[in-house]
Amino acid sequence: MTATSTLPTTAPVKAGTPGRPGLGATIRWELRKLRAQHRTKAVLLGALLGPVPIALVIHAQGRPPKDTLFGRYATTNGFALSLLILGFAAQWVLPLLIAVVAGDIFSSEDTHGTWKTVLTRSASRAQLFTAKTVTAVGFAVLTLLVLSASTIASSVLVGGHQALTGLGGQLIAPSTALKLVGASWLTTIPPTIGFACLAILLSVWSRSSAVGIAAPVVIGMVMQLVGAMGGVEALRPFLLTTPYEAWHGLLSAPRFTGPLVEGLLTTGAWAAVTLAVSFALLRRRDITGG
Amino acid sequence: MTTQLAVDAVGVTKAFGQVRAVDDVTIQVAPGEVYGVLGPNGAGKTTFLRMLFGLIRPDAGTIRVFDKSWDSDGVGVLDGVAGFIESPGFYPYLTGRQNLEGLALLDGGARPGLVEEVLEVVDLTDRADRKVGGYSYGMRQRLGVAASLLREPRLLVLDEPANGLDPAGIRDMRALVKRLAASGLTVLLSSHNMDEVEEICDNVTIMNRGGVAYHGSITDLRAMAPDPGHLLDTNDNAGARALAADHPGIEVERAEDGLTVVGQEAADGLTVVGQEAAVAAYVADVVRSGIVLRVFTPTRTPLEALFFMLTDQEVAA
Repeated sequence: MTATSTLPTTAPVKAGTPGRPGLGATIRWELRKLRAQHRTKAVLLGALLGPVPIALVIHAQGRPPKDTLFGRYATTNGFALSLLILGFAAQWVLPLLIAVVAGDIFSSEDTHGTWKTVLTRSASRAQLFTAKTVTAVGFAVLTLLVLSASTIASSVLVGGHQALTGLGGQLIAPSTALKLVGASWLTTIPPTIGFACLAILLSVWSRSSAVGIAAPVVIGMVMQLVGAMGGVEALRPFLLTTPYEAWHGLLSAPRFTGPLVEGLLTTGAWAAVTLAVSFALLRRRDITGG
Repeated sequence: MTTQLAVDAVGVTKAFGQVRAVDDVTIQVAPGEVYGVLGPNGAGKTTFLRMLFGLIRPDAGTIRVFDKSWDSDGVGVLDGVAGFIESPGFYPYLTGRQNLEGLALLDGGARPGLVEEVLEVVDLTDRADRKVGGYSYGMRQRLGVAASLLREPRLLVLDEPANGLDPAGIRDMRALVKRLAASGLTVLLSSHNMDEVEEICDNVTIMNRGGVAYHGSITDLRAMAPDPGHLLDTNDNAGARALAADHPGIEVERAEDGLTVVGQEAADGLTVVGQEAAVAAYVADVVRSGIVLRVFTPTRTPLEALFFMLTDQEVAA
C-alpha cells in the first residue's frame, strides 16, 4: 500500500526518500527568490540608470569639483567623470547597493519565519549557507559590473573620450584610458565582496534586515573616517575601505600595483573571518522562532 | 529481530537558561502508528518536535528517526520525514505553487506532476497561483501539509495543525490528517486538544512542564479516565439534588459560578458526574418527579477531564 494512495489524487503519492539537492539546485532556489523581489530589480535598475543623471548633473556644473580626485577634468573629460563617480560610489553607494541583498539574504528567513521551512527539507545548513553566500556575492559583483558599465558609458557619452590626464600629470591616450578606467572599476570587486561578506555576517548575527543593510554603510563610513585621520597609518591597510582606493596606482606615472595586492589580502582576510563567524553562528543556532 | 522505530527519542532534555523546556522525555513511535503528543501550551511539545527536526540541539538524550541520528547522519535523518512546526512559514512574495516548486528544489527535485498532486490533496489547486502573502491562515496550514507531502514522507510530523483555524478549517484539517493516517503513513501529531488526539491517535504522550505526565495507548488512557460530567439546571435544583440520594453511582454538586459549558456560561445549576447509564437513570427520575429540565449538557469528556488532571489544569466540572 502506498503512503497516501487513498487520497483523492490523480496518481498515488508513493512514500519514498527525497533526494539530496546539489549546490546548483540550492542556488537556483535562492536566485528564484531574488528574481521575485522588487528591491532586487530596483537595485539593478538603479545601478543601470542612476549614473546617467549623475553624469549629466556633474557635467553641467559651471565650476568643476577641483578638490576631488579627477574632479578638475570631470566637466570636460568622460573618463575623468567616470573616475570621479567611482570615488564617490566607493564612499557609501557601493556598500549600500551590496547590502540590500547581502544584508537581507539570511535575516529575511527570520522575517518570514522560513528557517524552519527550509531546514526541514533535505538541504543542510552548510548547503544553504553556501548557496546564500554565493548568491549574495554574485549579486554584489553583478550590481558592480552593471554600475561600472553604465557609469563609463554615460560618462563618455556625456563628457567625451578625449585623452585623460593621469594622476602624475601624464597624458593617457583614449584607448588606454578606457582600459584603465575599466580596470579601475574592476579593482573594486574585492572590497565589494568583502563588504558583501560583512553584510552577511551582520544579517546572520542580528537576524534583522535593517541592521544587515544599514550597518555595512555606517561601518564603511566610519572606516573612511578612520582612514582619513592622522596617526593611524598602521591601521589603514587593514580597513575594508582602503582597497577601494587601490585603483589610484593604475592612473599614476609610473604605475604601481602594490595596493591592489594588499587590498586583495585585506579583503580575503575580511571575507574569510566574516564568513567563518557567520557559518559558525548559523550552524550552532537553535531555531526557536522562524 | 527488532522492529525499526519511526521515532526513537530517549531521555531527551533541553533547557533554555534556567527553564527546562523538555526534561528527560522518551517517545517511541512505531511505523504506521498515529501518535499524539499532547499537552497544554508551554508543555514542551514544540521544543521536542524542533529537536526531532534538528532545529534545536538537545542538551542530553538521543533522537533516532528510522534508525538515523543527527550526529551520525546529519540532514539524512530527515529522509522520509516531513511536517511543519507551529504555523508553516512561506515566502509571501511567491505564489503557493512557486513556494512548493522552490521547496522541491531543496529536496533534490520532485517528480513531474507531484506539485499538482499535493495541491489537489489539500484543495489549493485553484489558488496555487496567488501570492502566499494573500493566503488566509487556514490556506497556509494546508499549503504546509502540501509542502510536507511533496517529500513523499514515511513519517509526517504535524505541530498543532488545527491551531488558529476556524471551525470549518479545523474540521477540514482533521479530515485531511485522518485520511493521511488511514493511508498507512506514520503520523506524529502534537496538540493541546484532547478531542483531536483521541479522534486520530493510537498512542499518546501527555507532556506537562517539559516532562511526561502519561505515556501509553488511548485505550489505557480511557480506562483511567474519570466518569463524564454534565451540567444540569432545573426549575428546582434543590429538589433535583435531593433525588441524587437514590442514585449511589453518581455525584451531584452545586455548579460553581461561571461554569463553562459548550457554547454558553451557566451561572447556576448542578454538576452531575457518573457513568452514562447511572446519569440517565437519575435524569429520568428527576423528570418523573415533575421537575422541569432547563439545561442538561456534557461539560467535559472523560479524557478531557483526565487530561486536565494530568496536566494540573483547572478542571471545569
